[in-house]
Amino acid sequence: MAREATLAAPVARPLLSRRARELLTGYCYLIPVILALGGTVLFPILKAMQMSLYNHVLIKPQEYGYVGLANYARLLHDETFWLSLWNSFQWVFGSVLFQFLGGFAAALLLHQSFRGRALVRTVTLLPWIIPGVVVALIWEFIYQPNYGLLNDVLSRAGLMTERVAWLANPALAMPAVILTNIWRGVPFFAIMLLAGLQAIPGELYEAARVDGASVLQRFRFITLPMLKPIIVVATATRIVWTFNYADLIFVMTSGGPANATQITSTYTLLQAYSNLDFGYAATLSVALLLIMLAFTVFYLRLTRGLESVT
Amino acid sequence: MNQRRILSRRALLKTMAAAGTLTAADLKWWEEPLLRPRRAWGAAPVRFQFSVPEPKRNALVESLVQRFNQTQKDFEVKVEFVPQAQARQKLITSVAAGSPPDCCQVWDNWVGEFEGMGALEDLTPKVKDWKHYKDVLPLAWQTVTVKNKIASLPWVVTNDALYYRTDRMKEYGLSAPKDDWGFDDFLAFTKAFTKTDKNQYGFGMRGQGTWAVLYATEFMYANGAQVLKDGKVVINSKEAAEALDWYLDLFRKHKVCPPSVPTDGWRGIVEGFGRGVTNTYIHNSGSAEEQKGFVGEKNFSTVPLPLGPAKKRNSFYFSETLTAFNKGKSRDGAWRFMSWLMEDEPNLMYTKGLGLLPSRKTLFERPEFMHDPAYQGFIKSFPFSIVSPYLAYAGWGGKIDSEGVPLFQQALVGKLSSKEFLDKFAEVLTKNMT
Repeated sequence: MAREATLAAPVARPLLSRRARELLTGYCYLIPVILALGGTVLFPILKAMQMSLYNHVLIKPQEYGYVGLANYARLLHDETFWLSLWNSFQWVFGSVLFQFLGGFAAALLLHQSFRGRALVRTVTLLPWIIPGVVVALIWEFIYQPNYGLLNDVLSRAGLMTERVAWLANPALAMPAVILTNIWRGVPFFAIMLLAGLQAIPGELYEAARVDGASVLQRFRFITLPMLKPIIVVATATRIVWTFNYADLIFVMTSGGPANATQITSTYTLLQAYSNLDFGYAATLSVALLLIMLAFTVFYLRLTRGLESVT
Repeated sequence: MNQRRILSRRALLKTMAAAGTLTAADLKWWEEPLLRPRRAWGAAPVRFQFSVPEPKRNALVESLVQRFNQTQKDFEVKVEFVPQAQARQKLITSVAAGSPPDCCQVWDNWVGEFEGMGALEDLTPKVKDWKHYKDVLPLAWQTVTVKNKIASLPWVVTNDALYYRTDRMKEYGLSAPKDDWGFDDFLAFTKAFTKTDKNQYGFGMRGQGTWAVLYATEFMYANGAQVLKDGKVVINSKEAAEALDWYLDLFRKHKVCPPSVPTDGWRGIVEGFGRGVTNTYIHNSGSAEEQKGFVGEKNFSTVPLPLGPAKKRNSFYFSETLTAFNKGKSRDGAWRFMSWLMEDEPNLMYTKGLGLLPSRKTLFERPEFMHDPAYQGFIKSFPFSIVSPYLAYAGWGGKIDSEGVPLFQQALVGKLSSKEFLDKFAEVLTKNMT
């Protein structure tokens, strides 16, 4: 049998160019991440946006239906929402400002060399390690007016004649929960800023000393500028975090008394969890998202360039 | 290839033989349980959700369920414990998702919401044929009847009365309140019981949770007020505002209450009394057994709520129910379990263990309830007990807590007058008459 002659077949031209295939392969590697982030971040946000356009009260299934922007109109006229928003600003800025100041002081202290520094560093971390709910229960006991620790100490020290209802008095409840949050959040700033302090080259301080700079001048012209990127990032993170943080208040006061500690996140929880009004709770969540987005853009513009200072 | 097939067949035969032996061995114990009762093949367990207000109840309910499971072999009951604070939400979400438990224990003020969702099993035909139907107190049936349908079994019942410390009453030279005492006597009694230097207060008022509003409403009723009249909300009447002013002044003006009132919920008032901070408080009989452990059986008693200026009074009566869902998978099993819990022994075990009262007359009239001083206030209040007026509309259930209570707290701390609170509260109720 005669062998057939083999002819070189022309190589089929690939459907995509080499560059396009490489690009496609690269994107294929991203698919798991896109799916994970899309499923856990993007989808819930879109779902909340969709839910906010519906009347979705679990105990009234017969009233379920599309209502357009009715929930947003309700939000604009909801006095408790505006009160909770104002309370949120007090809660966030009161907490973060003092957490930052306390954390900075702690970081400067822990940056010094002294005996027992490792122990002090560990103790400083404790409030951050304890779960939020446990912190709330501990402080609730401290503030308890009838048999709590604080009133007992103050009255034994002769500083108090009439027992103070720290969490039951609307004028004191917000400062009391803010103080608890400050106590809890100081270690966060302390750790972040301590890491920043340790990254500042020692030569800069040596050179400044040689040039005759005082302690305050060294702090103002070396420490502060070098820490600015960390301060910007840590503060922004903490503000967003505190705005969404509901555990402490939920356990300590449930937003009371008389809505004195009702912040937007606890109010959202109340709508979803107690009223089972998922449509309105979703509207509140979307409003929270927009507020936080606006704040982040504003904050980053305000501090533009600071994060790149090195 | 063939060899592999033979081997696998052999393995299959061995497995079948082993399984058969095990099954036969297992069946041997069918009629005589070895470790635990056997269940009929394929019978789905009955899911029973129990909402836990205090850990003490877990063991009690677990033991009741075990006893039930030992008495029969067709199926078993599996109890799901849920903290009381989350129980309502869990049930509603499970109903919305189409997989509710077969039955559950809930307070009667939740039943209307489930009925509104169309989730309840209509128990009327079964109840009418039930042997204890006529033995259950008529008022108890009223608490579980929604739109002329019996929606639940009233497992236990209770109403409100005033707890007071008898030992301290003697210590301060006070006389015990009479059963027909009035508002003025109440004020004098709580004033005499207030010793701020000793960190003792005359009255543990509740400021948080639905019952903060309900206790205040009982005082309004004593002054002739009503929640509903001719289908309209009339809780903002003059009589209601006057009585509420008087009630709130106990905290605001007379200072006979501890400063913690605005944040004191159920645990706050029970523990306040138990720790000796307050000398009286209003609650149902559910904390009687707990107080026996806290302050001692001989150191407290109970008395009906005082008569108001209108010479009226009402104690709100309610029940802890056993409720079944129409989407449950074992509805007959659920009924068997629920009706078993109403039998003498399990019912007494539950009620006596917790300080609640049985809804069946023959059990209720037993000496352990009728002659115990801790229950006297409640038993004497039965003639003027009424079903809570807030059970009228399912839509009121959650709203009292989420909107009524913050408004009530504003009145409590003086941010709103009593009339302003009642006007706003009436608005909330009117909007939610569904």
